[in-house]
Formats: sequence, C-alpha cells, structure tokens
Amino acid sequence: MQLDKILHVEDDESIRVIVEMALVDLSGFTLMSCDGGQAALTQVETFTPELILLDAMMPGMDGLQTLIELRKKPHCQHIPVVFMTARIQQAEKQQYLDAGAVAVIEKPFDAMSLGDRLETIYQAYLASPDRNVTE
Amino acid sequence: MQTPVLPHNEQERLTALQQTGLLDTQAEQRFDRLTHLAQLCLGTEIVLVSLVDADRQWFKSKQGLDACETGRDISFCGHTILGEGVFEVPDALLDNRFADNPLVLNAPFIRFYAGVPLVSHGENIGTLCFIDSKPRKFTDKERQIATEIGKTIEQEIQDRLQEQAQEELAAREQMYRSVLEGTRIGTWQWNVQNGDTVLNERWAAIMGYTLAELEPISVDTWLNLLHPDDVADSDTQLNAHLNGSKEFFDIKCRMKHKQGHYVWVHDRGKVVSYTDDGKPLMMYGTHADITEQKLNDLALQQSRDQLYKLTQELPGVVYQYQSWPDGRAAFPYASTAIEDIYGVTPEEVRTDATNAFEKIHPDDLGRLVESIERSIEDLSLWELEYRVSSDNHTFKWLSGSATPERMADGSTLWHGYIQDITETKKYYLKLEELNQELNVAQQSLDLASEQAQIGYWHASLKLGTLWWSPMVYQIFGLDEQDFIPNDRKFKSVIHPDDIAKVEQSQQQALVTGIHNIIHRVIRPSGEVRWVHGLGQIVAEDKNPDLIMVGSLQDITDRMKLQKVKDDFISTVSHELRTPLTSINGALNLLQSGKIIALPEKAQKLMDIASSNCMQLSRLINDLLDIDKLAAGKMQFEMKKLNIVPLLQRAIDDHQPYAQQHNITLELQMDEHINQSTLYVDEHRLLQILTNFLSNAVKFSPKEGCVTLSATLIDNEIEIAVQDQGSGIPDDFKSRIFEKFSQADASSSKAKGGTGLGLALCKELTAAMQGNIGYESEFGSGARFYVRLPIVK
Repeated sequence: MQLDKILHVEDDESIRVIVEMALVDLSGFTLMSCDGGQAALTQVETFTPELILLDAMMPGMDGLQTLIELRKKPHCQHIPVVFMTARIQQAEKQQYLDAGAVAVIEKPFDAMSLGDRLETIYQAYLASPDRNVTE
Repeated sequence: MQTPVLPHNEQERLTALQQTGLLDTQAEQRFDRLTHLAQLCLGTEIVLVSLVDADRQWFKSKQGLDACETGRDISFCGHTILGEGVFEVPDALLDNRFADNPLVLNAPFIRFYAGVPLVSHGENIGTLCFIDSKPRKFTDKERQIATEIGKTIEQEIQDRLQEQAQEELAAREQMYRSVLEGTRIGTWQWNVQNGDTVLNERWAAIMGYTLAELEPISVDTWLNLLHPDDVADSDTQLNAHLNGSKEFFDIKCRMKHKQGHYVWVHDRGKVVSYTDDGKPLMMYGTHADITEQKLNDLALQQSRDQLYKLTQELPGVVYQYQSWPDGRAAFPYASTAIEDIYGVTPEEVRTDATNAFEKIHPDDLGRLVESIERSIEDLSLWELEYRVSSDNHTFKWLSGSATPERMADGSTLWHGYIQDITETKKYYLKLEELNQELNVAQQSLDLASEQAQIGYWHASLKLGTLWWSPMVYQIFGLDEQDFIPNDRKFKSVIHPDDIAKVEQSQQQALVTGIHNIIHRVIRPSGEVRWVHGLGQIVAEDKNPDLIMVGSLQDITDRMKLQKVKDDFISTVSHELRTPLTSINGALNLLQSGKIIALPEKAQKLMDIASSNCMQLSRLINDLLDIDKLAAGKMQFEMKKLNIVPLLQRAIDDHQPYAQQHNITLELQMDEHINQSTLYVDEHRLLQILTNFLSNAVKFSPKEGCVTLSATLIDNEIEIAVQDQGSGIPDDFKSRIFEKFSQADASSSKAKGGTGLGLALCKELTAAMQGNIGYESEFGSGARFYVRLPIVK
C-alpha cells in the first residue's frame, strides 16, 4: 500500500511551507499541517493520517507529549510517527525511538528526498510494524 | 780441758751427716738392739751412737744414759771423729785433755771412754762410744768387737737410707700411678735403638682396643693408627727432640679408633737415657685423649672466628673498656673497627687507652669523662654521642653504649659498641631542615587551599583511616572540632543517590590508582553541594597502607554553569538549525527547478547559497561534536563491523561532490579486509572518512584522482585517503590536527572548510583506540590514514 495521508506537526511556519512544497508539490502526498501538539490532537479526529511527521521541540506541548497523547486515542495507537529534530545526538534520537517513533529525521533535511524517505519508512513499517526503521 | 778442733773437711762432714737423715729422729730398734748387744758384750755402763753435729753431739741410740745430747765442746766423740780407728781414753782423770771436763767431774763421771768413728759417704759423722765410771782398757779382742759392731751400725745407717729411698720411690710411683689413673693418661716406653715398645692398657683403650688386640706391639702400632696427614708432623717433632732442638717430643694428632673414626690425642715424651756413645736409648711418654678438648677448641675457634667475622661486618667497634680506681684505663678487647673510630689499632690501646682519648673533641671530653664516672658510680648503662677527630680539622660524630660490670680488683669493665653516626647526624640535621621546609610547604598549602577553596585529604584504603584538611570540613559544612573523619562518616555525607558511584570509583582506584569522581554531598543544613574528588594512590612498593592522597573541590557553581552551558548549546543547536532547515529546504526546492524554473544567473546564485548553507550546517555539527568530545559527553556506539560496506558507502556519498569537481574516486582493498572485523562506532568512522574524502576532493586538481584504500597491517587495518593535491606546507604540519587550523587564511574561504574537521577526526580516532596520521611532501599530494585494531 502506497503512503498517501500525512499529518505534519511543526511550530515553525517556514518549515511547514517547505515540507508542504516537498511532500505535496514534489511528491504528491495528501498533507495536513498543524502548528502544535494540541492542533494535531484535534486534526487526527477528522483527518486519520497514515503517517505523522512530528517536530520534537515545540512550545507548549512538545513532540514527546504529543506522541503520548496521540497514543491514548484508540484509532491513533498504530499510526507510525516519524520525529524530526535539530538535536542530533544519538541519545536524543534514542529517546524518541524508545518512546515509539518509527524513525527520526535530522534537521536540516534534504527537501528533495523527503518524500522518498517517508515512503521508504512507511513501507518498512508496514512490512514489520514492531520495529523501528533504520535508515 | 781440751776442746776438740774442727776437722778440715767439717763442711763436707756435716753435709754427709745431714744426708743420713738421722738427726732428731725417734729411737730405732735396729740401732738400740746393736748398742744393747755391745753393752752386753763389752760390759760397759754406757753405749751410745753419737752423731757429731755442728755444735752438739746427739744420741741416736743410747744404753745406760738418759741425756739425749751434750755440747760438742765437751764431747769425747768430737775428738774421735778427728782420726781413724778406735779412740780410747783409759782414765780421764789422768788425761790432761779431759781431766777437768764437766762430764768427768760430774755425772756421768766418765773415767773410761772408747769411740769407734762411724763413716757415711766417706765422712766421720759420729761414733759408737763406750763409757764407764771406772778406769779401763780394751783388750785387742774387745777393740775388734767394738769396731765390728761399729761397722754393723754403719751398714744399718746405709740400709736405713736405702730403705727410705725405696719407700720414697714407691710413694712417688704410687703418686704417679694415681695421677695417671686419675687423668686417664696412657703411657709408653720406646727403646729408640731396638724399637722395643711398651704400652699400657689405657694407651690402647683410648683407641678402643685392649693391649692384647694390638699385639704384637711395636713402634708400628703407633704408626699404623696415626692419621696419614699427621705422620709428617710426628716425624718432624720426633727428630726435633732427638736432635736436641726441642726439650720434649710433643704432638697433638689424630689416631684411628677401633670403630673407624679418629680421636685426637696429645703425646708427649722425652728421652730419659742414652747409650754409652751418646745415642738416645729409652724414651718415655704419655698419651692423652684430647678429643673433647680438641672439639671444644675447634668450637671455641669457630666461635672466635664467628665473633671476629661478625665484628668485622659491623660498622662500629665492639669493645671492652676497663677503668681502674688509680686512673688507669684500657681497651682489653676491641674489634679492628676501632681503627676507623679512633684511628688506633686494638694493640695500641690494649693496656692503655690514652691514645684513644687524645682523639676526643675538646668540647666533648668533659661530658665523656663525666658520663664514665657516673656509670662507674651507679653501674648504669653508659650512653653518649660525642665527637672525635683524627686531624683536628674534620670531626666524626660517634654514638656509644656500654654495660658496666664491677671487677674483683675494684676496676670497672664495660662491654659495648661505638659507631660512627656522622652520616645519620647529617641526615638528622637535614631532616630538621626538611621539617622546616615541610612546615612552610604545609602553610603554603593551607593558604593556597583556603584561597582556592580546594580541600585536600588522605586516606588509607587498607586501614580505612581518613584525614581531611580544614577546607574539606568547610565544604561539607561540618565542624572540625567534633567530627573525626573515617570512611563510614564520609559515606554518611554523600548524597544517597551517589554513594554507589563513589564506592565504584574507590574500587576502581584500587586497580587504576586513580580516584576521580563528581558527586553530591548533603550538608547538615540540608543544602546539596556538588564536589569533585580527585585522588591518587602513592606507588604501592613505597605504600604498604595503600595511602591515597587527593583533593576535594566544591564545584556547585561550576555545575550550575555547566548546566547553563549545556542548555545553551542545546538551544543554539536547535535555534540555529531550525532557520537553517528552512533556508536549506527552500534552496533545495528552488534549485530542483521543479517548483519554479529559474534563469541561469539565478540558478548560479542558488548554487552559491546552497553550498554555503551546507557549510554552515557542517560547521554547526562540528562545533557541537568538538564540544561534546571536550566535555567527554560524546557517546560511542561501539560494535563489531565489517568495514567493506562502510567504505563503499563513503565512496558513494562523495561521488556527486567529486563529479562536481571533476575528480575520480577509487576504492582499493586488499583481500584480507573482507575477512577482518573492527570494533568501532560506524557513524563516527564514516564521519572521519567523510572528512578525509571531502578534504581530498577539495584539495585535488581538476581531473585528479582520490583513492580510498584499506590495508591489513599486522593487527590493524589502515584506512587511507590519497590525493593528488599540492600536499601540506611544512610550516603547517605541526598544527594540522589543531582546532581551527588551516594552511592559510585564504584556504578556508577558497575551499570552504571550518578548520575543525581534522581536530575532530583525531579525537574520534583516539576514542576508538586508533591512531591517526598523514604522509605528505609539499607539491606531491597528501595521504591521510587511520589505523584501527582488528577484532581477533
């Protein structure tokens, strides 16, 4: 099954624009963007994404808290979540993976290949839902 | 009255009389029987054996008279001994020589006298005399009888002498026999001329034999039993005696015992008679068992040798010093080291100690004398440190100690030891100096500790003892007065969450010798402080108690700053990257031409912006990495790795960049690489190769070739990147792995580097137990490599 619906959660508007261009204009995904964890929790009620791209550091509810809240929703328990972070230390990455992320994408990222990377991560997740995706 | 004259040989006569041994002895039957017989035969009233002494005549035997002696001057016998034959006075009253003699006028009223001289050793020693109170004349027959009886008496005197001599001889022999028996000494006789030999039983018994067992006895009996090594000495001694150069034959030698062992004997003998032509004839001697004595002698000699060796080994002098009440003093015994101590030989002071006393330092002499007098007085141990000099310029310090003993003659004898302590004294003075310096150092340390707010401590990991400087108490918020530190109390100060890691560090210190730990303590007030404990164990061979010394610093403020810094870096990292992400993403999208088509010039500008954006990103990453490494916070995911895929990936990743610069990338691996495994952090190794490759591409000329190679060398794999660039300038070589170093200031602008890459590579390589290096000659390219140990 091809990846189609992606929910992007990011407080920085510039990055939201770039990601939208990369994923919608270049890769043709269906994208829903929101500017924080709270908005994301609202959006998932109606959007039902196949994959969530979640910024780690956000004011208010950060990425980890958002993930925890998402998982509390029955229909969100099995949606693969990919973290995006500027903190690229291994320990930090591991923290997200341990919390249930399937993959971590470092900032800055290559906008041209972002869509392909997410598709790869999604396929890997489908093939083996219990494992983290190692890029 | 005529007094009898003295004969011309009076002296010899008296000697002969003395030799008879008759004077003043008891009456004896052998003489009394003869005088009684003479009285009966010749019918005189009185018969005497009268011995004429120097001033008297003494009667050995007397018949008919009570007196035992009379004066010689009035004696008739004194006249008799002047001539030979019978001296007869028929009537004394008619003889002018005797008419007024008191013995004539008074009792016994002598009228008749006849005396027969008694001869011994050729001299007239006295008379056999006949006396009557009536005048008379002997007939020839009577005279003959008197003479015969006189001869018989002479014979009795000789017999008596001989008997006495024999008795004496027997007594002496008895005595000698007793002595021999008592001393268990063997005897021997040897006829030097014919070899006849006589031994006694004891002689044989000393060697465990009976005489019968040794038959036939000859001089060979001796030679056969003599130890072969002692034969020559025996011959020498015998010849020395026989030729007269030694008074005795005297030898201590070994004789073979019947049971096979040897016994020590002392043989001593003398030639006692000679042949008519003067050759030695009979030789008598003794034969004594001296085994025990000899063994004692050997043991004594051994003890002496031991004592001598011991005293030789001692650095000081072992001695006896004796002081007499009259002021004399001496060293009856001193080991040879007295030469080193006093500069005198033991012989020079054996009977007079003056020479030694002359060497005493004048300032110390009084003390020395006083100390000796005190020791004499109360017999207390003598102890003193004093100086001596052999040349009056340089002085030696001595330390002496001796135990006194009072001798029978009133003198005092000390037994003691004196040693040269000049060096020790020097060390002692040096020690005092060092103590002084130590005090200063201690004060400096305390001052520095106070100024720097760093405490110090030492602990015995073996005994569990602990000592803190005042600053440690201050850091812990404790009162020095009512807190004696030990390991248990120290633990009670530590934050409960940190006790395990402190204990772990202590255990580790036992192995590594280093204790290095940052932990929290809780002050009595409840305040939590961060401290940095740093300690080191003193080398174990000089440190039996496992003493660890160390410092303790309150780093609470630093820890707060560290937290601020960490937060700052984290924030900067995030805050810098977030806009960079947008810029980078926007540039990517624009550059792709898929969002919007750009004019050529705009495209060129995009390329520039994109390239600089990437560089900025790398710079931020490198800076963060360097910071993490420096703080020891970089985490490594070490794992066993086959590096072939990693090398391939490095080549693939750099292919686009290389093509951009028209550079060819080549990979060369030797055949062993695929079978070898490294223990590394894959991501960090790739980071190093990325640095090498991007540098190589950057510095290579157009259409150049960059080679990535991997080679197995011994137990390491060398991964190297060779370029064809201009190489590394000599003046840059020493700084190449330093942070922010670049060959020249323009190079960073021209080539787009941060100057952090190689410094980071060096740190990363070291963290993975590898070595980093390069080979380059300016003008002919550079070759950078890392060598990492393979897993066996």
